[in-house]
Amino acid sequence: MRLEKCWFCSSTVYPGHGIQFVRNDAKIFRFCRSKCHKNFKMKRNPRKVKWTKAYRRLHGKDMTQDSTFEFERKRNRPERYDRNLAENTLKAIKKIDKIRVAREERHHKLRMKGKKAKEQKEAAIELEQGIHLVKAPSVLAQDQSLTLPKIKVKVQAQAEENQAMEE
Amino acid sequence: MVKILIRWNIFYCVSVFLTENLCLRDDAVYDELQRSDSAKNPLPFDEDLPGMGQYYCLHCDRYFAHESVRDEHFKTKRHKKRVKEMMGPKPHTQLDADLAAGMGMPDNGPKLMPV
Repeated sequence: MRLEKCWFCSSTVYPGHGIQFVRNDAKIFRFCRSKCHKNFKMKRNPRKVKWTKAYRRLHGKDMTQDSTFEFERKRNRPERYDRNLAENTLKAIKKIDKIRVAREERHHKLRMKGKKAKEQKEAAIELEQGIHLVKAPSVLAQDQSLTLPKIKVKVQAQAEENQAMEE
Repeated sequence: MVKILIRWNIFYCVSVFLTENLCLRDDAVYDELQRSDSAKNPLPFDEDLPGMGQYYCLHCDRYFAHESVRDEHFKTKRHKKRVKEMMGPKPHTQLDADLAAGMGMPDNGPKLMPV
């Protein structure tokens, strides 16, 4: 039994799932579900379809090169069964998975870095421009204390002010 | 014994007429292009195809009725786009899918025979 990867989305195809298409030149195309199979029949390029692993790796959304990747390979030479080897392999699989997941999380964190600061800045600008949706301009003109003070402060302080206005 | 042979033949015949098998896909065309740089075989005569199957555009996998028609096709935008695509990187393969899934290069063991 072998756990194959889907041709289109690169997810694992477990036994009993999916479809295998064998072309006349004996190339086998494996699909995890009909979604991938239909996309293949439509001749879509997986590198351009956003939710596939091929797209994500190509556009740097998921980490590309890592030493944990070289452990999982397609091994085309059978190994003589050795109980110790099997036991150690199972233990190693668990550990490698844990490390790989940790590294992927770190990659995602690095990718999302600086997003919060950008969002805060944009929110501040939006609030300043759209304050008339929150309070009527006449009210703001009468009561000066309600307007947003136009002073440049550090990001954390601005966040607090925004929260105060929104409440 | 004969019944089994007939059934096998029917399965094979059906697979020939599957629409998925009738036209060449991107990666098949790409492989053909890489290969046919060395050998240009004369195309086989086929009555059913337009122009007896003689005037063929490899990039678009299309047969034309006459040489002039084929040359006209070569000037079209669609054909030029295909040519540009085929000049680019190799199309997506199962190996690409495996690598994208987070596997390493396949391990075929030590070389058993000198190539």
